[in-house]
Amino acid sequence: MNKRSKYLSDALFSLLVMSLAFALNMLIQYIFSIQTLIPMIFVFGVFLISFRTESYLFGFSASLLSVLLVNFAFSFPYFRFDLFTPELLLSAVIMLIISFLTCMVTKKLSVTEKEKAENEKEQLRANLLRAVSHDLRTPLTTIYGSCSAMIENFSSLTEPQLLKLLSEVKQDSEWLMRMVENLLSITKVGTGNVSINKFDVVLEELIDSVILNFNKRYPEQKVSVEIPDEFISIGMDALLIEQVIINLLENAVFHAKGMTKLILRVRVSGKDAVFEVIDNGCGIPKDKLSSIFGGVLSGAETPADGRRNNMGIGLTVCSAIIAAHGGQVFARNSQNGGAVFGFTLKIAEITDEQ
Amino acid sequence: MSNNKYKILVVDDEKNILSLISTVLDTSGYQTVTATGCGIAEMLFSSHHPDLVILDLGLPDKDGLTFIEWVRKTSITPVIVLSARNSEADKIAALDLGANDYVTKPFGTGELLARIRAALRAGHTASDGNTQSGDKLVISELVIDYPARSVYLGNREIRFTQTEYNIVAFLAENAGKMMTYSSIIKAVWGESTDPGSIKKLQVNMANIRKKLGLKPGEQSYIVNELNVGYRMRNTR
Repeated sequence: MNKRSKYLSDALFSLLVMSLAFALNMLIQYIFSIQTLIPMIFVFGVFLISFRTESYLFGFSASLLSVLLVNFAFSFPYFRFDLFTPELLLSAVIMLIISFLTCMVTKKLSVTEKEKAENEKEQLRANLLRAVSHDLRTPLTTIYGSCSAMIENFSSLTEPQLLKLLSEVKQDSEWLMRMVENLLSITKVGTGNVSINKFDVVLEELIDSVILNFNKRYPEQKVSVEIPDEFISIGMDALLIEQVIINLLENAVFHAKGMTKLILRVRVSGKDAVFEVIDNGCGIPKDKLSSIFGGVLSGAETPADGRRNNMGIGLTVCSAIIAAHGGQVFARNSQNGGAVFGFTLKIAEITDEQ
Repeated sequence: MSNNKYKILVVDDEKNILSLISTVLDTSGYQTVTATGCGIAEMLFSSHHPDLVILDLGLPDKDGLTFIEWVRKTSITPVIVLSARNSEADKIAALDLGANDYVTKPFGTGELLARIRAALRAGHTASDGNTQSGDKLVISELVIDYPARSVYLGNREIRFTQTEYNIVAFLAENAGKMMTYSSIIKAVWGESTDPGSIKKLQVNMANIRKKLGLKPGEQSYIVNELNVGYRMRNTR
């Protein structure tokens, strides 16, 4: 569908450029009655077309067309094809070669542009992979080590020791679980042109599900919920958006030092639903504020044995998911201390309840 | 002695998961039978008559969905799906074939045990007629009086519209079982599912929640499974 409309607009563009070139040439010939400029203007047209359009077809047909037009309209005998005068034939061939080459070189240029973008994406993926595989090693070491220790020394370990080792194994496997969820989401949306499955989800049900899942992981952390009373439904991949909100809440739990209150607020702003996770903790350091959602993918600042990179990955995953939904992520410090992380999504339907 | 223990058939091709689940079930007082494929599972199901089945979907010989179909031909034994597939479409497919519940891997053992209790209780409700005194269904504070078509929360009567009552009554009859949008719509409106009817159901559910005073995030009577359906709790 999209491809087709691109094709159509390319064709229209080519036609427009060629007619403009033709009109310009007619004008020049009428005013100055010289012909040296004419092939150049056509070649310039071919250049423009090849640069703008996707398929080789347009560039090549434009160059063929210009040669025919020069032969037909701008060389003696006017308005008649003459392919038998050796002079005209030679100039036609030369012009054909030049315009074909122009077309090819230009195409190559724009392909390199595309490759560059592809490379950048590849680079991001490589950075992510590096950060992640590094991060997977630490919890795996704990899990493997603790389990082996328990099996080998089972009878000599005291009950409190066993419990301590086991609870560490549990913690680290929970951490691994979250990491894997994040990675799965990244592979779902991170590959660029993959379209996500959107369904209309009722805001209240989404928040209900999010809070229940969050409380399963962090039973001791209370979250106050503030959502509008209206019936609001939003087109989204519910699993992914749920993960975004949980990542943001988790981020507050891990990073907002001194937090006593955690709020999940959703408000309506025009056609958008604005989701905000508000804490009253230590806030975001100023130097991190601008790059906080792309932290991991920039590839820098990964301490060799840093443990909490998961959070950086968590926020990166958030921004990838929201971008795939056509929304915006944001982070700021609130005036009275604490941080606000959030994102916007388009509302599909909103109705006041009777 | 072991006769009054519930017997649970666990089907999974991962030996470690089988061992994990049977250990957990053993210590919680259930008797377990394990199978590593559909073929063996069918044989064990016919010979052991389990009270409940825990089923993985990705089995080596056949897909787990075919096993659900096979069980539902002859029995209403509760089936809990335990799978790594977490998409809404997979859940709906399994539930519409007759599975009672769907738990995704990785799972917490506490969660799994709670779902088992709920499913076993739901199985009882279905086979003994209604619980309690026949015409009434009681779930914690919530009382549904079928002959009077009225619902009480504690002592307070909740004024539902016809449609809202029908939805609540249907979910309550199937308490403990995850009901998909299409099964609810079929039961309440008798029509097939399209986006419009799902929206209608969601709006009615929003009103029901409001009338019951349910706040998001509180463990309450009705559980949302986003894009899949609703489940009335039968345990607190």
